[in-house]
Amino acid sequence: MPLILKPREPSAQLAPQTGDGLASLASPDEDLRWTAARAAPDIPGSAAPLAAALRKEASPRVREAMFTSLARMGDTAAAVQTLPLLRSDDANLRAGALDALRIMIGNTRELLPPLLQDADVDVRVLSCELVRTLAGGEATALLCEVLQRESDPNVCAAALDVLAEVGQSEALPVLAACALRFQDTPFLAFAFQVTADRINGHSPRNRD
Amino acid sequence: MDTRHATVTEFPPLTEEELDRLGDFLYRRTGMVFAENKRYYTERRIAERMTETGCGSFPIYLARLRSDIGHEIELLINAFTVNETYFYREDHQLQCLTSNLLAERIRGRNKEDSLRIWSVPCSTGEEPYSVAIWLLENWPLVDRYEIEIWGSDIDTRALENCQQGLFGRRALQRLSPALVGKYFTPVDDEHWKILDELRQSVQFSRVNIVEPADMRRHGKFDVIFCRNVLIYFDDASRRVAAENIYENLLPGGFTCLGHTESMSRISPLFEVRRFEDAIVYQRPQGTNHG
Amino acid sequence: MADRKTVLVIDDASLVRLYYRSALEEAGFRVQEALNGLEALERLPGMGADLLIVDINMPQMDGLSFLKALRQCDSPIATIPALVTSTESRDVDFAAARAAGANYYIAKPVNAQTLVNFAAMLSGVPR
Repeated sequence: MPLILKPREPSAQLAPQTGDGLASLASPDEDLRWTAARAAPDIPGSAAPLAAALRKEASPRVREAMFTSLARMGDTAAAVQTLPLLRSDDANLRAGALDALRIMIGNTRELLPPLLQDADVDVRVLSCELVRTLAGGEATALLCEVLQRESDPNVCAAALDVLAEVGQSEALPVLAACALRFQDTPFLAFAFQVTADRINGHSPRNRD
Repeated sequence: MDTRHATVTEFPPLTEEELDRLGDFLYRRTGMVFAENKRYYTERRIAERMTETGCGSFPIYLARLRSDIGHEIELLINAFTVNETYFYREDHQLQCLTSNLLAERIRGRNKEDSLRIWSVPCSTGEEPYSVAIWLLENWPLVDRYEIEIWGSDIDTRALENCQQGLFGRRALQRLSPALVGKYFTPVDDEHWKILDELRQSVQFSRVNIVEPADMRRHGKFDVIFCRNVLIYFDDASRRVAAENIYENLLPGGFTCLGHTESMSRISPLFEVRRFEDAIVYQRPQGTNHG
Repeated sequence: MADRKTVLVIDDASLVRLYYRSALEEAGFRVQEALNGLEALERLPGMGADLLIVDINMPQMDGLSFLKALRQCDSPIATIPALVTSTESRDVDFAAARAAGANYYIAKPVNAQTLVNFAAMLSGVPR
């Protein structure tokens, strides 16, 4: 049999470059920054340096690794450091921050209500998306509050997209009332209808 | 493996809206889309899962699915896509390997540098052994290059199976009698043992895909088959595993996922390459030190 | 009879995709969907898309990163017209979209008629 397959210990084993921990986050060497970013969760207090490095990081894959590390840390400190990136002018940073926060929000849900009332409409829009990972009852309650006070159509649209998936029947009267306020916005008229239909799709006799 | 039950509870048919909710969730999470014309099939699979999990109603089941309790996402998808392992499964990827991937990998390469191929997770060994057999049968240059094939899994019992090299009828169902005769010896009516030369030509190891140190000690590969595992990890683990795979690939190296998986739900680290036989993902070319 | 034009809607909001789909199909377009820029890049080759409608804020790969990557592709898909729709509507957002390779930009929420008019215009359907 001609196939020569020499079983042996892997040659070039990948030892992570031993940089100076967090200092390597600023290294000119992209691979060192990558390794430092990935190792950050093992270093206490690394959330702030990570977030600071993110703002200056040009390499998409290093950014990705930094956000992964923040997500893995997943505590309030990490979330608080990640939140400001939702306001970034850089769409890539906003998306990265949202993806990371999605993972963290289960442990840091106390941060959600203020976000859903943030003065910045774009932050409110993105924050509705974070509600999607919560359980149906909690998500419904939070998003009903949003719909009741919200004047921006895009925030309502974001809330509806989540309610369409996870909303429960207690949202129905809130939907009806809010729909009246936005009846002249065609997309929202559509979205309110579909959301109500999806919630009603659970016929009462099916529910325990 | 037959997972049908003698009695599947009769549930009311799913409404359009319930199917929409389920479909939207699965599409968002995995990229999978239900076939419109398979509605009855879809409802049957869901009814099976609802029976199995004791969910009395669809909303309860959907909540369970969304929280992925008991790995329900994986179990539901498995109910749709028979997830047995056997030799030459998804052979279009093996075809792509010899038609396209290896040609790119050998460009400008010294013959002394081995080509390294990894099957992780390798389960009971069908996949890495399939790679070996396929190369012998289909790659004209198989004699010209050194090839290292690794199979790794987190399950030590599965790895014992790999080392034993013993396989049953179902595992061999896609191999022609000629191939079975060439690479296996029958042990009894129902079992065949892979030839020693082949058995010894694949290295097996235990690995946890989510552990960087575990993965790093395996070195860098030209091609990594990482099928039907990433999409089932939770969000954080999926990212870490994808970053590990990235590190374990040489620049320009390729990774192949399972046919229900897409990197679009896993990680932006890789570039998508569409070949005639398969969609694969490539670590970009560039500097490499770690 | 002219071939129907194919529009790829790239947006992570399922209600948006549903709304655009129904409006565009009613107007005679064929519609495909993708949830983020990565899925779009994966499925565009061979799709025969005549127009892209691209949201900006999407998971894993935002719309602007997608457009930049698309415009750099060495393939016919690189020049498909792209209409960017987004909730953000500041000058800096318009500028960023143009720099990324958008052909046009409209602010959400988009109504069906506006969408269809722009889709027709950008995909070369005579009206």
